[in-house]
Amino acid sequence: MTVPLGAFIAVSAVLFFLGAGGVLVRRNAVVILMCVELMLNASNLALVAFSRRAGQLGAGNPLDQRGSVFVVFVLVIAAAEVAVGLAIILAAYRNRPTVNVDELHEMKG
Amino acid sequence: MIHNVWLIPAFPLAAFLINALFGRRWLKRWTGPLASLSIAASALVAIGVFLEVRSGAERTIVPLYTFISVGAFHANVAALVDPLSSAMLLVVTVISFLIHVYAIGYMAHDHGFWRFFSWFPLFVFAMLILVLGDNYLVMFVGWEGVGLCSYLLIGFWFERPEPAGAAKKAFVMNRIGDWGFMIGMITTFLVFGSMNFVDVFERVAKDPPAQGVLSLICLAFFLGATGKSAQLPLYSWLPDAMEGPTPVSALIHAATMVTAGVYLVARSTPLFAAAGPVLAGVGGVGALTAIFAATIALVQVDIKRVMAYSTVSQLGYMFLALGAGAPIAAMFHLITHAFFKALLFLGSGSVIHGIGGVQDMRRMGGLRSKMPLTYWTMVIAGGALAALPPLAGFWSKDEILGSAFKNGYPILWVVGVFTGGLTAFYVTRAIWLTFHGQPRDRQLFEHAHESPRVMTWPLLALAVGSALVGFIGFPPDNGFLHSFLRPALEAGAAQQAIPPEASNWLEFLAFAAISTAVGVGGILLGLSMYSRGRPDPAAVSRAAGPYYDVLVNKYYVDEIYDRRFVGVAKAFAGAAWAFDIHIIDGLVNRLGWAIKLAGGGLRRAQTGIVGNYALSVVAGLLLIMVVYGGYATGWLRR
Amino acid sequence: MFDILEPLLFALFALGIIGAGVCVVVLRRITAQALLMALTFACMAGMFLLLGAETIALFQVLIYVGAITILILFGVMFTRQDDRGYGLFFQRQSPWAAALTLVIALPVAFLAFSFKDPSTPSPKGGDLTPLAGSLFTDYAFPFEIASVLLLAALVGAIVLVKRDEQ
Repeated sequence: MTVPLGAFIAVSAVLFFLGAGGVLVRRNAVVILMCVELMLNASNLALVAFSRRAGQLGAGNPLDQRGSVFVVFVLVIAAAEVAVGLAIILAAYRNRPTVNVDELHEMKG
Repeated sequence: MIHNVWLIPAFPLAAFLINALFGRRWLKRWTGPLASLSIAASALVAIGVFLEVRSGAERTIVPLYTFISVGAFHANVAALVDPLSSAMLLVVTVISFLIHVYAIGYMAHDHGFWRFFSWFPLFVFAMLILVLGDNYLVMFVGWEGVGLCSYLLIGFWFERPEPAGAAKKAFVMNRIGDWGFMIGMITTFLVFGSMNFVDVFERVAKDPPAQGVLSLICLAFFLGATGKSAQLPLYSWLPDAMEGPTPVSALIHAATMVTAGVYLVARSTPLFAAAGPVLAGVGGVGALTAIFAATIALVQVDIKRVMAYSTVSQLGYMFLALGAGAPIAAMFHLITHAFFKALLFLGSGSVIHGIGGVQDMRRMGGLRSKMPLTYWTMVIAGGALAALPPLAGFWSKDEILGSAFKNGYPILWVVGVFTGGLTAFYVTRAIWLTFHGQPRDRQLFEHAHESPRVMTWPLLALAVGSALVGFIGFPPDNGFLHSFLRPALEAGAAQQAIPPEASNWLEFLAFAAISTAVGVGGILLGLSMYSRGRPDPAAVSRAAGPYYDVLVNKYYVDEIYDRRFVGVAKAFAGAAWAFDIHIIDGLVNRLGWAIKLAGGGLRRAQTGIVGNYALSVVAGLLLIMVVYGGYATGWLRR
Repeated sequence: MFDILEPLLFALFALGIIGAGVCVVVLRRITAQALLMALTFACMAGMFLLLGAETIALFQVLIYVGAITILILFGVMFTRQDDRGYGLFFQRQSPWAAALTLVIALPVAFLAFSFKDPSTPSPKGGDLTPLAGSLFTDYAFPFEIASVLLLAALVGAIVLVKRDEQ
């Protein structure tokens, strides 16, 4: 018995919404960043899963790689995003020694 | 030369541009001679045009460029060169030239010299456009242009309140007339489908519209003429316009601009001739204005005011002539009046200049010995005004009165003759008070001096004109002017080719005798009252009592206008201002306040907390999912 | 025997992912959260292997478990956390956020769980060559752009963290 595609999608969905909830709920900026990574991972999983499905069903190349290529790029973006995001958090921390997003509201009004 | 006719307005326009751009810093004193030279050039071309027309050139249209060409309607910038316009061109350019030269001397000490000689030729340009146009639209451009220049030049010394106010008054009154002109112009277009003189007059002859419509057009145009030529009821700006420098008064308010109304009616003779009773109305208004203004001139103490009212009165004579069906007589008087009235004004200016700026005749007296040249030229001009033979004014005024009687308007004749007597009286009074008798202000008399040559030579030239110009209309009804203008003005006569009647000398002598007698009587009365004091002028004014007061206060016309019309306009303006401030501004302010309120409310969405923003992103995602799901499942219809 | 291996491994990895994910969201000790996140990444790599995408799994381990986890840990180190305990707690908007997320999540989860696609991705691998082929031929241009993006991120991160010269 092999694992149906739906299972992978289900896992991806659960992980995604966990991450989304974390972003909206947690106060620590670093934790929020971690939750964003979770969301990205979830979408990677979905992409690879569909890419493999397409490879099995699809016409032409039995191993259609478009989804996988996209995943590569998502990986790149995620890496860049974490780097810059942390740089921002550090810069903000230097300004006011807090990582509490509720307290970083200079842009109010 | 006729095809170069557009050079005539081009020269003064060039002078205006050059003087306006370069006069203040570079040209300075040279602006005067430059302007005068440009007018001289125009005059030379005008003479050429006149000679060509005289030697039999047909009525020519010289186009400049296509202005409006829509469907069947064409109103282009083109010149109509015919006897009427070529005669007018000659008068305007020659007199303008003389007055420009005079003004070089008169305005010599004024710090606005360059400004004066920018606007003076601009005025001449506008007047020439008015004369040259071959359709009502181009004429209107010139019409407005002279109104503008009149405003600029009356208010030349705008730092003082009186000239500024007088300029405004002139412009606003003119505007009322302009409204009439526009109504006439537009109705002409609606009725005839064209504004070109040639087209309109042809259509009037072949297929005239209803007399009511035609009367409307003519009345509207006459209203315009009333404003521009200072007839009742739009005359009161002209005496106030004396606040401007004397050359302005001479050129604009005696010889040229104010004659534009006469020119308009003369040009539109075919229209007026077909409109019946309106023409009689024109004559009536002219006669009434003539006598009205003459009575006021009897008691004025400012020498320029006397001349101003005299101008109004003489313009009334011209309209009287037009109304009596004698357009040639009207143009004749226009020409002679240009000479002697300009001379009267320039002479007055010479006196004012010589005694250091005083215009009140009660402080003058005995200046004859100090300013002989001015004196003798003024005497010639005064004689022409009083219609003494053989000076110019005699021939033209007599022709007007004679035509009035012969064409069946005896009342107009009586009014004209009586006013002639008044005219002779007031001009005698003015000259006597200024030049004869004992000097009433010793100080002024001591310092009085004759004017420089640049001012006296134009006086001499105009004096020669005032004396001799009358002979262009000699013999009466049959002179050079008559044959010259007849084809242009008496539209039917050209086709009929009836040889002009030989002058009826008996008739002529009879009329001449009557009007000359009245004139001489006026002069004698004046001399008697002022040189010998029989009766004493002061006693007469006392005896006349309230009548005298009415005259001195100019029939209280200004006060009536102020209360009735200006007051109403001010009230209306006040209401409009209140509307603007409270309602329109209020609307805008309320709108701004509302936006501010909304903004203040919406501002609260910007909490600055990133989490809130992320939440709104997710909420948007929810919305999108709902909408997409709705469409996909058919729950939301497209 | 191998028949049951695949679903078993899948269940294992799924449990790891979900469990670690829940912990990341809910726990209050930040170091624990970071390390559990690393666990999530590792299980994700396992998932990729089950799908037969070994190259992606390789990248996942290299980048996520390796670089990104370290970065997060650095971030934790450089910022001082609340003295009340490790990690900070929930935002002021938590009730609304939780409600909203649930509202969206439920239909999606329902959809996801009722996914009726008969296909079953096999763990048979061999995806390096096709992936490389695609990446460097059809998608060479985005690849280059991605490298520029990384450069930009690098420079940006450095600029942001630079201290002003004293």
